[in-house]
Amino acid sequence: MLVLLVVLSLLLLTAYFGEAPSGRLHGVQRAFLTVVSPIQNGANKALKPVRDTIGWFGETLSAKGQRDKLKRENNALRKQFVADQGEKTSLRQLQALYHLDQLGVGEYHPVSATVVAKSPNIWYETVTIDAGSNAGVRVDDPVVNGEGLVGKVAQVASDGAQVDLITDSSMGVSARLGKSTATGIVQPKVGEPGNLLLQYLPSTTQPNAGEFVVTSGTVASPDDSLYPPGLLIGQVSSVNEETGFKSVNVRPSVKLQNLDVVQVLTSSAGSHANSIAGLAAALPAGKGASGSDAGAEQYASTGSGG
Amino acid sequence: MSPTRTASLPLRLAAMALLLTLIQVGVVSEIPVFGVNADLSPLLVAFVGLLCGSTVGAVYGFATGLLVDLLLLQTLGLSSLIFTLVGYFCGRLRELRDPHAALTPLLVGAGAAGASLVGYSLMEFMLGVDAPVSLELLRQIVLITVVDAIISLPLWALVRAWLESALPEDPRRRRRRRRAYTTGGLSPLSRS
Repeated sequence: MLVLLVVLSLLLLTAYFGEAPSGRLHGVQRAFLTVVSPIQNGANKALKPVRDTIGWFGETLSAKGQRDKLKRENNALRKQFVADQGEKTSLRQLQALYHLDQLGVGEYHPVSATVVAKSPNIWYETVTIDAGSNAGVRVDDPVVNGEGLVGKVAQVASDGAQVDLITDSSMGVSARLGKSTATGIVQPKVGEPGNLLLQYLPSTTQPNAGEFVVTSGTVASPDDSLYPPGLLIGQVSSVNEETGFKSVNVRPSVKLQNLDVVQVLTSSAGSHANSIAGLAAALPAGKGASGSDAGAEQYASTGSGG
Repeated sequence: MSPTRTASLPLRLAAMALLLTLIQVGVVSEIPVFGVNADLSPLLVAFVGLLCGSTVGAVYGFATGLLVDLLLLQTLGLSSLIFTLVGYFCGRLRELRDPHAALTPLLVGAGAAGASLVGYSLMEFMLGVDAPVSLELLRQIVLITVVDAIISLPLWALVRAWLESALPEDPRRRRRRRRAYTTGGLSPLSRS
C-alpha cells in the first residue's frame, strides 16, 4: 500500500510539475478550488470571530511587548538625557570657572573639586567636596564657582572637605554693593532659607533692586577677609526701610541646589593682604604699620577683579 | 469489529480532515506564533497513523496531502508524498512499539512536523526552487516544529476523542486491559 501511494504521489508530482499551467491537473485543481471556494468563504466568515479573538490576544500581547520595549527605550533615553544635562551643567560650570580664572582668580591657587554630597537637612547648608588637605585645601578657604561665591571650607579631611554654603547660618561675608563703596555683611536671612541679607550698610547708601552684591575683600574680623574682592554674591531683590543702618535682601547668584564643580581658593585674599602687609612693614621709615594696613586694605578692596 | 464502527471511521476521518484543513487555512495560518504559523496537517496525519495504524495512516496522509495541495494550489502530489510517509511511519510506530507515555503525542507531533518540513524543503530544492539553504530557513523549521509540538497535546486529545468511538477494537489493547485486570488487583480472584 505504501509503495502504491508513494508511486502515485510521485506520478502526480511528475505529471503536475511537467505540464503547462493550462494542463489537466492544473485544471482539476482550479475546478476543485471553484467548488470549495464557497465553502472556504463561508468557513472564513464563520471563523473570523475566532481569528479576531485569537488575533486580539496576540496583538494585545504584542502591543504589551512593544509598550514594555518602548518604556525601556524611553527610560534609557531619559537617563541619557539626564546624564547629558549633567555633563552640560558641568561643562558650563567648568567654562565659567575658566572664565573666572581669566578674571584673576587663578592668582589664588584655585583647586577644582566636585561636589560629592549635599546635606539633606535644611538646617545645615553644607556640601561635601572631593578635595581635601592633600590638595592644599584648608579650613576657611573660600569656595567659588563660575556664578560666584559658594561658601567656605568648614572642615577638611585628607581627600575631602565640608563646605558651608553662603546660606548657612554660620556664614557672614564682608560685601559691598556693586556701584558704590558702601560695605556691609551678608548673612543668611532668618526664616527664609536660601535668601541672604546684606546689612549694616551706611544710611546714606541708595541701593537699588537688581544691583549686584560682591565681596568687598575688606577686613571683617580681627584678622583679614577670607574672600577675594569682587566675587559675585548675588543681586539685590528688595530694600528694607530701616532707621540707622540700611539692609537689603539679596538673592544668591549661585544655584546652590545645582552645584557640581567648584573651586577652592587655597590662597585667599587674606593671605595676599598679609603678604602685602609684610612687604609694607619692610618699607623704609616713614611708612608705618597703619600705612601698610591701609595699603593692604586698599589692595584687598580694589585688587584683582576689583 | 462492529460494522457501524468501521463505517463511521472514514466519515469521521474525512470530516476531520476537511474541518482542520479549513481551520488551518482560515485561522491558524493567519495567526503567527513566535513569528511562524503552526501547521496542523502533519500533526493530524501523524495522530491518525498513531491511532489507526500504518495503512490507514498512509492512506489518510495521501488524501490529506491531496486535499491540501488542491486547496492551496500547491504542487500536486508533494504534500501527498510527504504525508503518506508521515502517516505510515507513525502507524508503524504504533504497530511496533505501541507507545503509551504521556509525552508520546508531543514527541510524535514534533517529529512529524520536523520531518514534513525537512521533507518539503528537500523536495522543493529537488524541484529547483531557487533559494539558498539559510539559517533563517533552519530557524523557521525549528520554530514551526516547536509550535507544532506545543499544540500537539491538545490536538491529540481532540483527534482521539473524535475517533475513539469509531476505532476498531484492537486485540492487543484488549489483551493489555485483561492483563491489567488480572494482575493489577482488579480481579476478584487476586483479591480473594
